[in-house]
Amino acid sequence: MTTKNIYKIAYYTYREALSRKIFLTFFGISTFVLVVFGLIFLFSGIEDLISFTQVEAGERIDLIEKIVDVLKFSIAAPLYGVGLFLAIFAASSFIPNMLEKGSIDVLLSKPISRNQVIWGKFLGGLYIVLVNIAYLVIGIWFLIGLKFGNWDPSFLMVIPTVTFTFAVLYSLIILVGILTQSSILAMMLSYLIFMIFSPVLLGREEIAILIDNKFVEYLLDALYYLTPKTAELASITTDMATGDFSFDYMPFITSAAFMILSLGLSIFIFSKKDY
Amino acid sequence: MYSVEVQSINKIYETAFRKRRVQALNDFSIKVEKGSIFGLLGPNGAGKTTLVKILLGITFPTTGTATVLGHDISNYKLKSKVGYLPENHKFPPYLNGGDVIKYAASLSGYEPPNLEQKVDELLSLVKMLEWKNMKVKKYSKGMMQRLGLAQAMINDPELVILDEPTDGVDPIGRKEIRDVLIDLKNQGKTIFLNSHLLSEVELITDNVAILNKGNLVHQGNVQELTTSKEKFKIKFASELKEELKSENFNKYQIEQMEEDTVLFKLNDVEELNNLIDDLRKAQLFIVSIEPLKSSLEDMFISLIKNSDK
Ligand SMILES: Nc1ncnc2c1ncn2[C@@H]1O[C@H](COP(=O)(O)OP(=O)(O)OP(=O)(O)O)[C@@H](O)[C@H]1O
Ligand SMILES: [Mg+2]
Repeated sequence: MTTKNIYKIAYYTYREALSRKIFLTFFGISTFVLVVFGLIFLFSGIEDLISFTQVEAGERIDLIEKIVDVLKFSIAAPLYGVGLFLAIFAASSFIPNMLEKGSIDVLLSKPISRNQVIWGKFLGGLYIVLVNIAYLVIGIWFLIGLKFGNWDPSFLMVIPTVTFTFAVLYSLIILVGILTQSSILAMMLSYLIFMIFSPVLLGREEIAILIDNKFVEYLLDALYYLTPKTAELASITTDMATGDFSFDYMPFITSAAFMILSLGLSIFIFSKKDY
Repeated sequence: MYSVEVQSINKIYETAFRKRRVQALNDFSIKVEKGSIFGLLGPNGAGKTTLVKILLGITFPTTGTATVLGHDISNYKLKSKVGYLPENHKFPPYLNGGDVIKYAASLSGYEPPNLEQKVDELLSLVKMLEWKNMKVKKYSKGMMQRLGLAQAMINDPELVILDEPTDGVDPIGRKEIRDVLIDLKNQGKTIFLNSHLLSEVELITDNVAILNKGNLVHQGNVQELTTSKEKFKIKFASELKEELKSENFNKYQIEQMEEDTVLFKLNDVEELNNLIDDLRKAQLFIVSIEPLKSSLEDMFISLIKNSDK
């Protein structure tokens, strides 16, 4: 019963996402990228690619590995940036649309509990992002495998890390949506964290040296551990894409804690609110 | 057996900084009999929508309790047997008419094998079948209202709650909606209706409650409410001229007199019987006695005026 209800809400969130052209655009771009890579791989020899990717000369096996790494990096990094940017843009209106006067009345008059509604919205949003990213990543992975015989599955880890980062930011979008019913605010706040807060806080030690104030130092530290660490997650994504698994798990754990807190708070507030 | 029982519900809306406090419902109680059509009436801002939202768990009462179909309103599962048409409802704009009905069915947990057929039946019942494949964002107001009514019935509900169902609907459509409601009642369903259109409510409802500023002003049978206990129209066989001017009839108050019909204002039925005795003694031939009906609208206006005093 509960899972079925969550599934239904998720399904209609997915339909709403499809109706917004942005996911289709993303899907189109992905297809275009896949076709371009496919054509390049089809019509150029490995030698052309070596000069194209400007890998320094060395043993042939090494060279191929290096090309593959460059290719993987040059897919994973923009995917993380552009993919998340578009996903945030599209997802920020899910909750405000749902809460619109007249829509929320219809929804809440159905035999679905409020926490099922939040879970459905969350999982539905995750699902469409996951599908979009998986399509591009698996496609590229497959092409690289065919061309270079490199079937290293670590590249596929881009799928869960990008989806996870989206999940963390999406939980914030849901919370802000419930609190303010404003998609603009939810979007701005996510972009602020994604593009400014997290990269700046990553360099908090340098800032602390410049300012040289104990209080500021603690404040930056506190902010750092409390907010989602999208900048670290970005480098973890590209590291994993190229097979480097020697990263620190802290950004995952603290970001997951943020996500659980935002979702918990969203459910709590939504369950008490009058509409 | 009651489909809805509301016990002393209070609802206070407070704005974020407590600058404004609205008592939308004040110690409000009602009972709605199963299988009846119940009308909740009241001027704008009386608290009608607030009450139905509380019944459906969309808004929470400040104090008090209520049951719907025998379950406490905090139990969200009871809503699988309720249909609801909210005022100013909106459906996901990317859905078409048929999808909206399926959306409502799915969220209500109603999944019969012949859903497609049921959808078509309902759409043709509300005369919307030809618009089935058009996106709802292109619907006119009356079309939205018809669709809203259809989606409120898809889950085969035992209780249908309608907030201003005929709002924006043309006269022919209103008649059609009334017929649909009567038909639902004949199937044993309970209908809870919020409306301003008293002349319509009067035609179909069994019981009404009148709400003003959150207070229950009157509750009762429509027939009783609109039937005055004090005014009687008596029709005689021939035109009266001097007969009623005799001393015997001085004690009775005559409101109106025209040809063979006289309107008496009496205190009670006992006085009516005395009058009849006197009329018969005077050899006046009575053709009919009819208690005067006032429209629901007249009653409504006078009740609201009294309660505002
Ligand atoms: N969410 C809310 N926050 C604050 N006040 C509210 C809220 N919803 C309703 N009210 C107030 O509660 C009172 C009752 O409103 P309600 O919508 O129940 O009236 P109504 O009887 O349905 O009126 P109408 O006939 O115009 O639909 C009004 O004074 C309204 O301003
Ligand atoms: Mg209303």
